[in-house]
Amino acid sequence: MMVRKPQFGPGTSVVAINRRKQMDPGHQLTKMRNITDEDIVLMLGHRAPGASFKTMHPPIAEQQEPDCPMRKLVKPTEGAKHGDRVRYVQFADSMYNAPCQPYQRTYAEMYRFRAIDPGTLSGRQIVECRERDLEQYCRLLIETEMFDPALVSLRGATVHGHSLRLSENGMQFDALQRCVLSKDGMVRYVKDQIGLPLNRPVEVGKPLDSAWLKEHSTIFHSLVGTGLREDGEYVEYLQRIHTLRTKYGFMPKEA
Amino acid sequence: MKEITAYPQCRIVPMRLLGPDTTKRFLNKIVKVPGIRRILLNGQNIPLTVPYGPARGTKNTTNLRKSITIAGNMVDLHVQVGTITLEIEDKSTTDHIRKICDAFFVDFSYYIQEGKFMKTQPSLVDYAKYGPQADRSVIGLVDPKRKEKPSLITLSNERVCGGYEL
Repeated sequence: MMVRKPQFGPGTSVVAINRRKQMDPGHQLTKMRNITDEDIVLMLGHRAPGASFKTMHPPIAEQQEPDCPMRKLVKPTEGAKHGDRVRYVQFADSMYNAPCQPYQRTYAEMYRFRAIDPGTLSGRQIVECRERDLEQYCRLLIETEMFDPALVSLRGATVHGHSLRLSENGMQFDALQRCVLSKDGMVRYVKDQIGLPLNRPVEVGKPLDSAWLKEHSTIFHSLVGTGLREDGEYVEYLQRIHTLRTKYGFMPKEA
Repeated sequence: MKEITAYPQCRIVPMRLLGPDTTKRFLNKIVKVPGIRRILLNGQNIPLTVPYGPARGTKNTTNLRKSITIAGNMVDLHVQVGTITLEIEDKSTTDHIRKICDAFFVDFSYYIQEGKFMKTQPSLVDYAKYGPQADRSVIGLVDPKRKEKPSLITLSNERVCGGYEL
Protein backbone atom coordinates (compact mmCIF):
# COMPACT_ATOMS: atom_id res chain seq x y z
CA MET A 1 0.00 0.00 0.00
CA MET A 2 1.26 3.46 -0.88
CA VAL A 3 2.05 5.55 2.17
CA ARG A 4 0.25 8.84 2.04
CA LYS A 5 2.52 11.83 2.62
CA PRO A 6 0.50 14.81 3.74
CA GLN A 7 1.17 18.09 1.97
CA PHE A 8 -0.28 20.21 4.81
CA GLY A 9 -0.85 23.21 2.55
CA PRO A 10 -0.07 24.83 -0.77
CA GLY A 11 2.31 27.62 -1.62
CA THR A 12 5.93 28.41 -2.34
CA SER A 13 6.35 31.58 -0.28
CA VAL A 14 8.06 31.76 3.09
CA VAL A 15 4.65 32.14 4.74
CA ALA A 16 3.44 28.89 3.16
CA ILE A 17 6.63 27.08 4.19
CA ASN A 18 6.26 28.33 7.78
CA ARG A 19 2.65 27.20 7.86
CA ARG A 20 3.65 23.72 6.75
CA LYS A 21 6.43 23.56 9.34
CA GLN A 22 4.04 24.41 12.15
CA MET A 23 1.46 21.92 10.93
CA ASP A 24 3.85 19.04 10.37
CA PRO A 25 4.02 17.03 13.63
CA GLY A 26 7.26 15.50 12.37
CA HIS A 27 8.93 18.89 12.28
CA GLN A 28 10.64 19.92 15.51
CA LEU A 29 9.78 23.54 16.26
CA THR A 30 12.67 25.70 17.45
CA LYS A 31 12.63 26.36 21.15
CA MET A 32 13.00 30.09 21.74
CA ARG A 33 12.51 30.52 25.50
CA ASN A 34 12.07 28.67 28.78
CA ILE A 35 8.91 28.96 30.81
CA THR A 36 8.48 27.18 34.12
CA ASP A 37 5.44 25.07 34.97
CA GLU A 38 4.47 27.57 37.63
CA ASP A 39 4.61 30.45 35.14
CA ILE A 40 2.24 28.63 32.78
CA VAL A 41 -0.16 27.93 35.63
CA LEU A 42 -0.05 31.60 36.64
CA MET A 43 -0.69 32.89 33.13
CA LEU A 44 -3.59 30.51 32.57
CA GLY A 45 -5.18 31.38 35.91
CA HIS A 46 -7.23 28.21 36.21
CA ARG A 47 -5.67 26.91 39.42
CA ALA A 48 -3.24 28.16 42.05
CA PRO A 49 0.36 26.97 41.54
CA GLY A 50 0.86 23.74 43.43
CA ALA A 51 -2.86 23.10 43.81
CA SER A 52 -4.14 19.75 42.68
CA PHE A 53 -6.08 19.35 39.45
CA LYS A 54 -9.82 19.49 39.94
CA THR A 55 -11.63 16.54 38.46
CA MET A 56 -15.00 16.11 36.87
CA HIS A 57 -15.06 12.33 37.06
CA PRO A 58 -13.06 9.62 38.86
CA PRO A 59 -9.90 8.33 37.17
CA ILE A 60 -10.76 6.04 34.27
CA ALA A 61 -8.97 3.10 35.94
CA GLU A 62 -11.38 3.34 38.86
CA GLN A 63 -14.44 3.58 36.68
CA GLN A 64 -16.46 0.72 35.31
CA GLU A 65 -15.74 1.15 31.63
CA PRO A 66 -18.09 -0.61 29.22
CA ASP A 67 -16.65 -3.19 26.91
CA CYS A 68 -16.18 -0.97 23.90
CA PRO A 69 -13.80 -1.64 20.98
CA MET A 70 -13.34 2.10 20.42
CA ARG A 71 -12.17 2.61 24.01
CA LYS A 72 -9.63 -0.13 23.52
CA LEU A 73 -8.44 1.48 20.32
CA VAL A 74 -8.16 5.08 21.55
CA LYS A 75 -5.85 5.53 24.49
CA PRO A 76 -6.90 8.36 26.83
CA THR A 77 -4.65 11.38 27.30
CA GLU A 78 -3.13 11.99 30.72
CA GLY A 79 -5.82 14.52 31.56
CA ALA A 80 -8.63 12.21 30.53
CA LYS A 81 -7.03 9.32 32.41
CA HIS A 82 -7.10 11.36 35.63
CA GLY A 83 -10.57 12.78 34.98
CA ASP A 84 -9.39 16.42 34.83
CA ARG A 85 -11.91 19.13 34.13
CA VAL A 86 -11.83 20.88 30.75
CA ARG A 87 -10.09 24.27 30.70
CA TYR A 88 -9.01 26.63 27.95
CA VAL A 89 -6.30 28.89 26.62
CA GLN A 90 -6.94 31.65 24.12
CA PHE A 91 -4.39 33.47 22.02
CA ALA A 92 -4.69 36.75 20.14
CA ASP A 93 -2.19 37.14 17.29
CA SER A 94 -1.33 40.43 15.66
CA MET A 95 -1.67 40.60 11.90
CA TYR A 96 1.62 42.48 11.85
CA ASN A 97 3.69 39.38 11.18
CA ALA A 98 2.89 37.43 14.32
CA PRO A 99 4.46 33.96 14.02
CA CYS A 100 1.11 32.21 14.32
CA GLN A 101 -2.45 33.12 13.34
CA PRO A 102 -5.83 31.85 14.55
CA TYR A 103 -6.63 29.52 11.62
CA GLN A 104 -3.06 28.37 11.42
CA ARG A 105 -3.09 27.72 15.17
CA THR A 106 -6.07 25.41 14.82
CA TYR A 107 -4.54 23.52 11.91
CA ALA A 108 -1.24 23.11 13.76
CA GLU A 109 -2.90 22.03 17.00
CA MET A 110 -5.13 19.51 15.27
CA TYR A 111 -2.08 17.90 13.72
CA ARG A 112 0.09 18.04 16.84
CA PHE A 113 -2.21 17.59 19.84
CA ARG A 114 -4.82 15.05 20.91
CA ALA A 115 -8.18 15.50 22.61
CA ILE A 116 -8.60 19.19 21.88
CA ASP A 117 -11.56 21.33 20.94
CA PRO A 118 -10.39 24.47 19.19
CA GLY A 119 -12.59 27.47 18.43
CA THR A 120 -11.31 29.68 15.66
CA LEU A 121 -12.21 33.30 15.11
CA SER A 122 -10.71 35.95 12.90
CA GLY A 123 -8.45 37.52 15.51
CA ARG A 124 -8.26 34.98 18.29
CA GLN A 125 -8.27 31.27 18.80
CA ILE A 126 -9.38 29.33 21.84
CA VAL A 127 -8.56 25.72 22.54
CA GLU A 128 -10.22 23.61 25.18
CA CYS A 129 -8.95 20.35 26.60
CA ARG A 130 -8.26 18.55 29.86
CA GLU A 131 -6.34 20.80 32.24
CA ARG A 132 -3.27 18.59 32.54
CA ASP A 133 -2.99 18.32 28.77
CA LEU A 134 -3.62 22.04 28.37
CA GLU A 135 -0.61 22.99 30.47
CA GLN A 136 1.54 20.64 28.47
CA TYR A 137 0.28 22.00 25.13
CA CYS A 138 0.72 25.58 26.35
CA ARG A 139 4.37 24.89 26.92
CA LEU A 140 4.84 24.12 23.23
CA LEU A 141 2.72 27.07 22.16
CA ILE A 142 4.66 29.56 24.30
CA GLU A 143 8.21 28.20 24.30
CA THR A 144 8.60 27.61 20.58
CA GLU A 145 8.70 29.77 17.47
CA MET A 146 4.88 29.86 17.45
CA PHE A 147 5.03 32.63 20.05
CA ASP A 148 6.35 36.18 20.11
CA PRO A 149 6.11 38.09 23.40
CA ALA A 150 5.07 41.33 21.67
CA LEU A 151 2.72 40.14 18.93
CA VAL A 152 1.09 37.07 20.46
CA SER A 153 -0.64 37.13 23.80
CA LEU A 154 -2.80 35.00 26.05
CA ARG A 155 -6.21 36.60 26.34
CA GLY A 156 -9.15 34.82 27.87
CA ALA A 157 -11.46 37.81 27.45
CA THR A 158 -11.19 41.37 26.07
CA VAL A 159 -9.10 40.15 23.19
CA HIS A 160 -9.21 43.07 20.74
CA GLY A 161 -5.81 43.75 19.16
CA HIS A 162 -5.28 41.43 16.17
CA SER A 163 -6.14 43.93 13.46
CA LEU A 164 -5.02 47.12 15.19
CA ARG A 165 -1.88 49.11 14.64
CA LEU A 166 0.80 48.21 17.16
CA SER A 167 1.51 50.39 20.16
CA GLU A 168 4.44 52.73 19.80
CA ASN A 169 6.70 50.29 21.67
CA GLY A 170 5.82 47.51 19.20
CA MET A 171 3.41 45.65 21.47
CA GLN A 172 0.03 44.42 20.26
CA PHE A 173 -2.78 46.59 21.66
CA ASP A 174 -4.34 45.17 24.80
CA ALA A 175 -7.03 47.15 26.61
CA LEU A 176 -6.22 45.27 29.81
CA GLN A 177 -2.43 45.53 29.39
CA ARG A 178 -1.85 41.98 30.57
CA CYS A 179 1.78 42.10 29.53
CA VAL A 180 4.14 45.04 29.67
CA LEU A 181 7.42 45.74 27.92
CA SER A 182 9.87 46.66 30.66
CA LYS A 183 12.81 49.03 30.29
CA ASP A 184 15.21 46.08 30.17
CA GLY A 185 13.46 44.91 26.98
CA MET A 186 11.69 41.97 28.64
CA VAL A 187 7.99 41.32 28.30
CA ARG A 188 6.34 40.39 31.57
CA TYR A 189 2.81 39.25 32.22
CA VAL A 190 1.36 41.19 35.14
CA LYS A 191 -2.14 39.75 34.77
CA ASP A 192 -3.43 36.31 33.95
CA GLN A 193 -5.31 35.63 30.73
CA ILE A 194 -8.63 36.92 32.03
CA GLY A 195 -7.15 40.14 33.46
CA LEU A 196 -6.69 39.39 37.16
CA PRO A 197 -3.44 40.80 38.57
CA LEU A 198 -0.72 38.25 39.30
CA ASN A 199 1.18 38.12 42.59
CA ARG A 200 4.45 38.26 40.69
CA PRO A 201 5.26 39.14 37.08
CA VAL A 202 5.87 36.28 34.67
CA GLU A 203 8.71 36.78 32.22
CA VAL A 204 8.20 35.56 28.65
CA GLY A 205 11.36 36.91 27.04
CA LYS A 206 12.27 39.70 24.66
CA PRO A 207 10.24 40.58 21.56
CA LEU A 208 11.75 39.14 18.41
CA ASP A 209 13.11 41.53 15.81
CA SER A 210 11.14 42.49 12.73
CA ALA A 211 13.45 40.66 10.29
CA TRP A 212 13.02 37.38 12.18
CA LEU A 213 9.27 37.90 12.36
CA LYS A 214 9.03 38.53 8.64
CA GLU A 215 10.93 35.31 7.98
CA HIS A 216 8.82 33.26 10.41
CA SER A 217 5.39 34.80 9.94
CA THR A 218 2.41 32.69 8.93
CA ILE A 219 0.22 35.55 7.74
CA PHE A 220 0.28 37.24 4.37
CA HIS A 221 0.58 41.02 4.70
CA SER A 222 1.46 43.05 1.63
CA LEU A 223 2.64 46.10 3.60
CA VAL A 224 4.86 44.66 6.32
CA GLY A 225 5.50 41.12 5.12
CA THR A 226 4.86 38.80 2.21
CA GLY A 227 1.89 39.62 -0.01
CA LEU A 228 -0.51 36.82 -0.92
CA ARG A 229 -0.23 37.71 -4.60
CA GLU A 230 3.50 37.01 -4.46
CA ASP A 231 2.61 33.34 -4.04
CA GLY A 232 1.01 32.19 -7.30
CA GLU A 233 0.46 28.63 -6.13
CA TYR A 234 -1.45 29.80 -3.07
CA VAL A 235 -3.65 32.10 -5.17
CA GLU A 236 -4.38 29.24 -7.57
CA TYR A 237 -5.35 26.98 -4.65
CA LEU A 238 -7.62 29.62 -3.11
CA GLN A 239 -9.27 30.31 -6.45
CA ARG A 240 -9.93 26.61 -6.90
CA ILE A 241 -11.49 26.30 -3.44
CA HIS A 242 -13.54 29.43 -4.08
CA THR A 243 -14.78 28.14 -7.41
CA LEU A 244 -15.68 24.72 -6.04
CA ARG A 245 -17.48 26.18 -3.05
CA THR A 246 -19.39 28.60 -5.25
CA LYS A 247 -20.45 25.81 -7.61
CA TYR A 248 -21.04 23.31 -4.83
CA GLY A 249 -24.80 23.35 -5.18
CA PHE A 250 -24.41 22.44 -8.84
CA MET A 251 -22.39 19.29 -8.05
CA PRO A 252 -19.05 20.45 -9.46
CA LYS A 253 -16.83 18.08 -11.35
CA GLU A 254 -13.19 19.02 -11.81
CA ALA A 255 -11.84 18.79 -15.34
CA MET B 1 -19.63 84.38 12.30
CA LYS B 2 -18.33 81.83 9.83
CA GLU B 3 -20.60 78.78 9.44
CA ILE B 4 -19.17 75.89 11.39
CA THR B 5 -19.43 73.61 8.36
CA ALA B 6 -17.14 75.83 6.33
CA TYR B 7 -14.03 75.07 8.37
CA PRO B 8 -11.62 72.57 6.82
CA GLN B 9 -10.53 69.48 8.72
CA CYS B 10 -7.47 67.29 8.66
CA ARG B 11 -6.55 64.03 10.33
CA ILE B 12 -3.15 62.89 11.56
CA VAL B 13 -2.72 59.12 11.42
CA PRO B 14 0.47 57.81 13.05
CA MET B 15 1.48 54.28 12.10
CA ARG B 16 1.55 53.28 15.76
CA LEU B 17 -0.95 53.82 18.56
CA LEU B 18 0.28 56.58 20.85
CA GLY B 19 0.67 56.20 24.60
CA PRO B 20 -0.43 58.96 26.97
CA ASP B 21 3.04 60.47 27.38
CA THR B 22 3.66 60.68 23.63
CA THR B 23 0.17 62.07 23.09
CA LYS B 24 0.89 64.72 25.70
CA ARG B 25 4.18 65.72 24.09
CA PHE B 26 2.61 65.82 20.65
CA LEU B 27 -0.49 67.75 21.63
CA ASN B 28 1.58 70.28 23.53
CA LYS B 29 3.29 71.02 20.23
CA ILE B 30 0.10 71.01 18.19
CA VAL B 31 -2.06 73.23 20.40
CA LYS B 32 0.36 76.10 19.96
CA VAL B 33 -0.34 76.29 16.24
CA PRO B 34 -2.58 79.27 15.57
CA GLY B 35 -5.73 78.47 13.64
CA ILE B 36 -6.78 75.20 15.26
CA ARG B 37 -10.40 75.35 16.37
CA ARG B 38 -11.11 71.87 17.68
CA ILE B 39 -9.14 68.69 18.28
CA LEU B 40 -10.66 65.22 18.41
CA LEU B 41 -8.68 62.25 19.68
CA ASN B 42 -9.83 58.84 18.50
CA GLY B 43 -8.50 55.50 19.56
CA GLN B 44 -9.12 52.27 21.35
CA ASN B 45 -10.95 52.62 24.64
CA ILE B 46 -9.08 51.67 27.78
CA PRO B 47 -11.79 50.55 30.21
CA LEU B 48 -11.75 51.46 33.91
CA THR B 49 -12.81 47.94 34.84
CA VAL B 50 -12.47 44.59 33.10
CA PRO B 51 -15.52 44.55 30.80
CA TYR B 52 -15.88 40.85 29.97
CA GLY B 53 -15.12 37.40 31.33
CA PRO B 54 -14.82 35.93 34.82
CA ALA B 55 -12.85 39.00 36.01
CA ARG B 56 -15.60 41.39 34.92
CA GLY B 57 -15.80 44.41 37.20
CA THR B 58 -12.24 44.11 38.49
CA LYS B 59 -10.24 47.34 38.37
CA ASN B 60 -8.19 47.59 35.21
CA THR B 61 -4.74 48.62 36.37
CA THR B 62 -2.96 50.13 33.37
CA ASN B 63 -0.68 53.00 32.53
CA LEU B 64 -2.46 53.59 29.21
CA ARG B 65 -5.31 55.54 30.78
CA LYS B 66 -4.12 58.76 32.37
CA SER B 67 -4.89 62.40 32.92
CA ILE B 68 -2.49 64.46 30.85
CA THR B 69 -1.72 68.16 30.93
CA ILE B 70 -2.14 69.97 27.64
CA ALA B 71 -1.05 73.60 27.70
CA GLY B 72 -1.77 73.79 31.42
CA ASN B 73 -5.20 72.15 31.12
CA MET B 74 -5.96 68.70 32.51
CA VAL B 75 -7.40 66.27 29.98
CA ASP B 76 -8.66 62.81 30.95
CA LEU B 77 -7.39 60.47 28.27
CA HIS B 78 -9.64 57.41 27.94
CA VAL B 79 -8.12 55.95 24.80
CA GLN B 80 -4.86 54.82 23.31
CA VAL B 81 -4.71 57.44 20.60
CA GLY B 82 -4.87 56.25 17.00
CA THR B 83 -5.93 59.36 15.08
CA ILE B 84 -5.94 63.07 15.81
CA THR B 85 -8.58 65.02 13.91
CA LEU B 86 -8.26 68.78 13.72
CA GLU B 87 -10.71 71.43 12.65
CA ILE B 88 -8.73 74.37 11.38
CA GLU B 89 -9.38 77.97 10.36
CA ASP B 90 -7.93 77.54 6.88
CA LYS B 91 -5.99 75.02 4.87
CA SER B 92 -2.63 76.76 5.29
CA THR B 93 -2.60 75.57 8.92
CA THR B 94 -2.10 72.02 7.63
CA ASP B 95 1.38 72.94 6.44
CA HIS B 96 2.32 74.11 9.93
CA ILE B 97 0.96 70.88 11.38
CA ARG B 98 2.83 68.82 8.81
CA LYS B 99 6.12 70.47 9.82
CA ILE B 100 5.52 69.58 13.45
CA CYS B 101 4.60 65.99 12.53
CA ASP B 102 7.72 65.62 10.37
CA ALA B 103 9.88 66.60 13.31
CA PHE B 104 7.91 64.58 15.87
CA PHE B 105 7.26 61.23 14.20
CA VAL B 106 10.80 60.01 13.64
CA ASP B 107 10.58 56.45 15.02
CA PHE B 108 7.58 55.57 12.86
CA SER B 109 5.76 57.19 9.98
CA TYR B 110 2.47 59.02 9.83
CA TYR B 111 0.20 60.55 7.23
CA ILE B 112 -2.15 63.51 7.12
CA GLN B 113 -5.51 63.32 5.41
CA GLU B 114 -7.62 66.29 4.43
CA GLY B 115 -11.38 65.93 4.29
CA LYS B 116 -14.34 65.80 6.62
CA PHE B 117 -13.86 63.54 9.62
CA MET B 118 -16.03 64.91 12.40
CA LYS B 119 -19.68 65.80 12.48
CA THR B 120 -20.37 69.47 11.83
CA GLN B 121 -24.16 69.52 11.77
CA PRO B 122 -26.29 68.35 14.72
CA SER B 123 -27.86 64.96 14.07
CA LEU B 124 -31.26 63.83 15.31
CA VAL B 125 -29.63 62.35 18.42
CA ASP B 126 -27.82 65.64 19.06
CA TYR B 127 -31.13 67.45 18.73
CA ALA B 128 -32.78 65.07 21.19
CA LYS B 129 -29.94 65.53 23.66
CA TYR B 130 -29.04 69.21 23.34
CA GLY B 131 -32.18 70.73 21.79
CA PRO B 132 -32.31 73.42 19.10
CA GLN B 133 -29.86 75.73 20.90
CA ALA B 134 -27.01 73.19 20.89
CA ASP B 135 -23.49 74.46 21.41
CA ARG B 136 -22.05 74.00 17.93
CA SER B 137 -18.51 73.69 19.24
CA VAL B 138 -19.43 70.43 21.00
CA ILE B 139 -21.18 68.78 18.03
CA GLY B 140 -19.05 65.99 16.62
CA LEU B 141 -16.57 66.03 19.48
CA VAL B 142 -18.42 63.80 21.87
CA ASP B 143 -21.00 61.05 21.70
CA PRO B 144 -24.33 62.66 22.67
CA LYS B 145 -25.09 59.73 24.95
CA ARG B 146 -21.94 60.31 26.96
CA LYS B 147 -22.25 62.22 30.20
CA GLU B 148 -18.79 63.74 30.09
CA LYS B 149 -18.15 66.87 28.08
CA PRO B 150 -15.09 67.45 25.91
CA SER B 151 -12.08 69.16 27.50
CA LEU B 152 -11.68 72.84 26.84
CA ILE B 153 -8.15 74.00 26.27
CA THR B 154 -7.70 77.72 26.65
CA LEU B 155 -4.77 79.29 24.91
CA SER B 156 -5.21 82.84 26.07
CA ASN B 157 -2.02 83.16 28.07
CA GLU B 158 1.35 84.17 26.69
CA ARG B 159 3.09 81.23 28.32
CA VAL B 160 1.44 78.87 25.89
CA CYS B 161 1.18 80.83 22.68
CA GLY B 162 4.00 83.32 22.84
CA GLY B 163 7.43 82.87 21.38
CA TYR B 164 6.67 79.73 19.45
CA GLU B 165 8.33 79.44 16.08
CA LEU B 166 7.21 77.02 13.46
